[in-house]
This record gives sequence, C-alpha cells and structure tokens, in this order.
Amino acid sequence: MSSETDVAVVGAGMIDFGELFEQSIDDMLAAAFRDCLDDVDKGMSPADVDAAWFGTIDIADNASSGLGLSHPTGLFEMPVTRVENACATGSSAFRSAVESVRAGNTDVALVAGAEKMRDSAAGLIEGAALDQVWRGRGVTMPAFFGLRATRHMEEYGTTREQIAKISVKNHENGAKYPHAHYRFTCDVDDVVDSPQVTYPLNLYDCCPVTDGAAATLVVSEDVVDEFTDDPIWVAGSGLSVDSFERGNDESLVGFPATEQAAGQAYEQAGITADDIDVAEVHDCFTITELVTYEDLGFCEKGDGGAFIDSGEPLLDGETPVNPSGGLLAKGHPIGATGVAQVNEIYEQLRGEAGAVQADNDPEYGLQHNIGIGRNATGSVSCVNILSRQR
Amino acid sequence: MFEPPYTRTRAANERLRAHECDACGWVSFPEQPQFCKRCGVDASWSETRLHPRGTVRSYVVQQRLPEEFETPLPLAVMDMPQEESGEPARVYGLFTETDPADIEIGMEAEGVFRRVFDVAGLPIHSFKFTRPRGDRL
Repeated sequence: MSSETDVAVVGAGMIDFGELFEQSIDDMLAAAFRDCLDDVDKGMSPADVDAAWFGTIDIADNASSGLGLSHPTGLFEMPVTRVENACATGSSAFRSAVESVRAGNTDVALVAGAEKMRDSAAGLIEGAALDQVWRGRGVTMPAFFGLRATRHMEEYGTTREQIAKISVKNHENGAKYPHAHYRFTCDVDDVVDSPQVTYPLNLYDCCPVTDGAAATLVVSEDVVDEFTDDPIWVAGSGLSVDSFERGNDESLVGFPATEQAAGQAYEQAGITADDIDVAEVHDCFTITELVTYEDLGFCEKGDGGAFIDSGEPLLDGETPVNPSGGLLAKGHPIGATGVAQVNEIYEQLRGEAGAVQADNDPEYGLQHNIGIGRNATGSVSCVNILSRQR
Repeated sequence: MFEPPYTRTRAANERLRAHECDACGWVSFPEQPQFCKRCGVDASWSETRLHPRGTVRSYVVQQRLPEEFETPLPLAVMDMPQEESGEPARVYGLFTETDPADIEIGMEAEGVFRRVFDVAGLPIHSFKFTRPRGDRL
C-alpha cells in the first residue's frame, strides 16, 4: 500500500432534504456544491477541482451522464463520470473518487449526489417488476426487506418492539438534525400502531420519499495542506454484490454483500468492527439497520435485537448509529444518500456535528449502503471508513 | 412489454423446467443457465424439473401494490425441490386464494397453474401458491 497516495476529505456540503417541489436537480446540485466549497477551511474555488463523480439513479430522467453535474456547477474540460449502483450509488461515487486519488490520477476530486424523488417516483411500490414471472414480480422494496424481518423474528426471536426501536432512535436523532426531512419524534407504540405497509413492516418502519443533494471534496496527501490543517482520512473502502438466489441461508436474515464489503473495508483500514466509534448505515427500513448491525460485525448474527436493546447504537451510547437520523428521518434521495452519510461521518470525526455530535470522541467512522438490484434478486453494498489519523 | 422474453422462459414458467450445475449442484431457475451463480464455473448443466410443492422460507403480506395486484398479497421466498433428487431452487412465490393468517415459515405450499398476466394480448401462464387442500386451517 505504500506506493499509494493517502486520501483526505476536506469539505462537505448538503442542502436541507425534503419535498423540494420548487427546486430542480440543477438547483439542488449547485447549492450543495456551493455549500461544500464554503466548508473547506482554507477555501476552495471551482478551478481547483480536477475531476468529478456524480451519483444519481436519475429517477426523474434529467441527468443521464456526467454532464448532469457539469451544467449546474460549470465543471467542464475535465473527467466527470456518472455513477449508478442502486441505493449504493452515492457511496459508490465516493469510492470511485477515492480510488482515483489513491492511484495518483487526481489531486482534487468532487463527489456530488442528487435525486429528484418527488418529481416522478411512485415511492414504495416502485420496483414491483410487473414484466417478470418469477424474478421479482410484485416484489416491492418493503417486501424485499420485510422478508428478512419475518425470518429474523422466526429464527432468532427478534421482537416487533425491538425492530420498532430503530425507528424511535432515528427519529429522536433526526429531530435534532437541521437537514432532516422529518423532524418529529415517536415512540414504540406509534411505530407498532402505524398503518401496515407490508407485514411485518408499518409506515414508521419505512423511510420517506425525499428530494436532496450532497457534495464532498476529497484530495490527495500532496495538496491537502492547501485546503485544511484538520483533514479526515479515508482509511478503507469496500464494495460487493450478492444474490439470495445463490442459496446462502444467511441471505434470508441479512445481506452477505454487506459482510463482504465491510470485510474489504476493515482489511484495507487495518481495523475490526470493534474499532468503529460512529456509523451512518442504510436504514431504508428499520429491519435493514437491525440486520446491518450483524452484517457489519457490531454484534453476532441474530443479536441485532439485543444490540438495540442495549442502547449501544443510541446517540449517547458506545457506538452511535445514524446520528443524522438516518434514511428514516433524514430521507433517502438515492444518489445523495451515501454522500450525505460520508459528510456526517466527516463532521462527527471533526467534532462539528452540533446537536447530534457523538460524545465518545470518535476516531473511526463508518458509512454503509445496501441496494437491491433489478427484479429484487440481489443486493449491492458499499462501505467506506474514515479516520482522524492518517 | 414485449413477447420474446416469455418465449425464452416458457418451459420454466409452464413446466417448471430448471437446470442443475454439473459442478456444484446449484439449480438455475427460471433463466437459461450460463456461468453458475454459486460456483462461478462456466458449467455444463443437466436439465431437471421442479416439483410444484415447495417450502416457505420467509414471507411478507403486501398491502400497497400497483392496481393490477389484489391486496393483501402474500409473497414468499420458496425452496422448490427437484422432481428427482438434488438441491431445491430458491424462488419468489406469489400466493393466491390464501388467507394471509394461514401462512407460516416452514409450511408446504402448493403451486397452482394460473394466468399470471397478459403481454400485448398474449396470456402468460405460470404458478402461484396456496396452502395445500386438506391442510387448510
């Protein structure tokens, strides 16, 4: 690894997530980029950017290439690449930028993610694969994830209340987080009594349909001093795909792709799950976060319910998970989601997370996405680890 | 939607034709197998047939779906055994004519032949699942 260039995060920006009918994708991207430039300690101008990665699944059909980022930001005459990787789109864009800088090909890279979810998306019923017979016909997002919940409860005795506690925790955090779409709190009864979407998941088990954009600046060790004296380093990254069709029984109670991506990231960082002090993980549904505790190695397989019961992932716990409110409260504008998660880890490690700052003086922070592939037959996971120490 | 994909998968959809990997025994269904999804080998494959009675490994009950679906709609991950011997295939199964309260993990479910949907006037037939007769609660 010694021949590789170390990679630092030096700026993070985002807009307030929400139902942003008055903003176009261009409006959102420009605002996130501006906010990100302003965040750099010693300042940065657009002319400093050497290359950019743009994460969007283009759900509203308005940004089919890298040009979707160039137009609103004025970033032309450079490599701009659009990245799409299901719900791991934003984190995959970040990872792509990091790999280019690590390889010595780019000094200053912009990562930007954006999604106009409310212009066209059908929300929870999107992805019902109407043209399929066996491969995912009628399988919505809540169904794909809910299948893990039913099985997890059967196999490990996980309770409905334990699953609901994830929603309670994340809304508690989101109520304090200024960029969150939803800023209300709820209790376990509210979650359990909310309308059923797909048994065993109810409305408060599901993330909202949210517009948003976020941007991050990553630079090489060679130029980092020009931008900040307090960089956060990229310690590791992993990405993997898997499918429940391959027959692994663990895919019925979790996501082997997460285990594989986390394994790669821990190995690159030279750490284990025990070293992670704060995490932003993919809680598109409550059960997703619960099984992700296990897949990331925060607890043993099957102990996700006990892990939330223990209070460890609460904001004042030993390993706060989703201090930003997660997808459940902050929202899930797909291309922006992973980028905003990286930003939150960057803020947490710099001690600048305000009302949701983890009070355990975090050294290492982890960001995680899990996405589902076409026809709900597989999953893709991306994990990135940031560190205060180079 | 177009018809050709349904011509390619007709034997799978209507007769539960599947293929078993000669290298590792994994069963490919419904698509024509190429590289094995489990062992990664550019395998040779033996034609096999699934039994239309499988086991529910997990399930959900969907309340919100596009208009063409009846709700509530139970959906399961099923393990479908082969007619002879070998490993089962893991598939999604949509239920029909079944009270959602009658579904549980580990139960057997019987495939029943149904018209699933139409493509440009062409009816597509395949299997949905029910709690077997005589086994009704």
